[in-house]
Amino acid sequence: MTIIRRNPEAPHCPPVDHDRELIHVDCASHTYPDGSVGIHDMCFYVLKNEIVAICGPNGSGKSTLIEHLNGLLLPSLGTIWVNGRTISGGEQAGLWKEVGVVFQRSDDQLFAPTVLDDVMFGPLNLGLSPDEARVRAMEALGTVGAAGLVGKLPNYLSGGQKRLVSIAGILAMQPMVIAMDEPTSDLDPVHAGMIERIILDLRDRLGISVVIATHDMDLAARIADRICLVRNGAVFAEGVPEEIFYDPALIAEAGLKLPATVQTYLDFCAAAGVRPASLPLKTDDLVVALKKSMPENRPGS
Amino acid sequence: MSSTSLSPHIPDLDLITYYAERGDSVFSRVSPWTKACLLFFIVILVTVIRSLVLLFGLYLIVLLLYLLARLPAGKLAYWYTLPVLFVISLVGLMMWSEPGIPLFAWTIGSFTLSLSDNGLILVVTLLIKALITVTYSLFFLMTTRYQHVTGIISRVFPEPLDQIFLLAYRFLFLTLAMTASLLKSIKARGGGLMHSLRMQGRVFAGVFALVFIRSFERGERVHKAMTSRGFNGSYPLSGVVPRPGISEYCLLVLTGAIVTATVILSPYRGW
Repeated sequence: MTIIRRNPEAPHCPPVDHDRELIHVDCASHTYPDGSVGIHDMCFYVLKNEIVAICGPNGSGKSTLIEHLNGLLLPSLGTIWVNGRTISGGEQAGLWKEVGVVFQRSDDQLFAPTVLDDVMFGPLNLGLSPDEARVRAMEALGTVGAAGLVGKLPNYLSGGQKRLVSIAGILAMQPMVIAMDEPTSDLDPVHAGMIERIILDLRDRLGISVVIATHDMDLAARIADRICLVRNGAVFAEGVPEEIFYDPALIAEAGLKLPATVQTYLDFCAAAGVRPASLPLKTDDLVVALKKSMPENRPGS
Repeated sequence: MSSTSLSPHIPDLDLITYYAERGDSVFSRVSPWTKACLLFFIVILVTVIRSLVLLFGLYLIVLLLYLLARLPAGKLAYWYTLPVLFVISLVGLMMWSEPGIPLFAWTIGSFTLSLSDNGLILVVTLLIKALITVTYSLFFLMTTRYQHVTGIISRVFPEPLDQIFLLAYRFLFLTLAMTASLLKSIKARGGGLMHSLRMQGRVFAGVFALVFIRSFERGERVHKAMTSRGFNGSYPLSGVVPRPGISEYCLLVLTGAIVTATVILSPYRGW
């Protein structure tokens, strides 16, 4: 896959691929009541069993797009296609059953008296009996490694624990896509690592597609299958992480910075006067690439 | 344990929750339904009883319960400040010029304010009634796990009153935490609650207005989070509230009989 550039001035979204896509946003625009444009001519899709990262600076429209995926916002123009249904105008019923949203601020998401009540909230709204909802909630808490928090009050959880419970609350609804808004912001490295493993687990073990909206380029580089660069309310480029992140001009155009791994490798190559031989995104890959680039390891030396 | 208390005179929600969740006294094991029924009986007694001696006796019983539950007695004195102020603000005007034996008179020009024995009794009676209710309410909240309190509320109160209460509780924590962090940021820059109020009243008023605006914004975000999980107006809770045992049923029957007798006899016996 090569980088696909889109021209927001002359938008053209590809047609829906019913076999591979779960969500397809077709030239959607949304204007807030105060007149500010949240997204415009947005072309975006989510494939089955993939992690797609929406990367862009603050105010670029990432959160607005996420809220469209769940039906919290409806496009003023354009359509959104979700698993065989076209969502437009006033039709949003039941979208929350298929696409779950984990919000940036966990404090806003946890409103129930106890962790168990909060995680059971979604399943009960799905029409499950209290016993079934409890089983679902316990499974979801177990999946995110938060089974020990079941009887706790949300007020007394740490930021990382709140984030885990927020994810469990969505996971308990068993959606086909989970959209996460800045999933690792404000978290310590240990909890950020846990969230990262959970996201990978959702895709690999449970087959759930995950959309993450982030400006954490390191996270996106490590876990995403596909990167969508967003600027001024529209996706202007997309591609696989190796190609996107090894295009410094494109990243600068998006108003972002290169992942630390990429920056380190490019700086090393520039200092050593060698051409990048590979495109490492993870630390392990970087170590291997650096070893290969050492003068004594170069072919012919 | 973090604290959301803005002042020692305001009951600390964190401390109350701490005792409620970790309390190991015998009262923490009593069924929440029993304690809630006793609260109902106490409210009835406080409403009908007028005898100062009986009210004082009831207050001592409630205070004894509080102390036996190993709840913080020192804090109670501080927490009485608000109910005392509330009562005084209510009867501050009513207590003057009550018929009875004059104890004190204050003349301003042609206008005289006199405090009689009945005026004083009115103040003391209302004060004890308030303290009984506050002390038992604190005892109830500090010996009952929050999930049991919410369980009772969701079963006793009709929609949407139960939902308003349940959401307000969590929201109260968040708003208090927000206000506390605001005060911290004021203190960190050399300000203080009273000092800043006096010196920078307008700025302070603006800051508190901001707290309200942020609360509304947060309310919208919470609603959005609920809607994203299929909120349709009802807020189901899973909590199971332990039922009273035989001995607790006996206690409730006995107390109910005493309360009924008091309600019937109090007009005739002058209670």
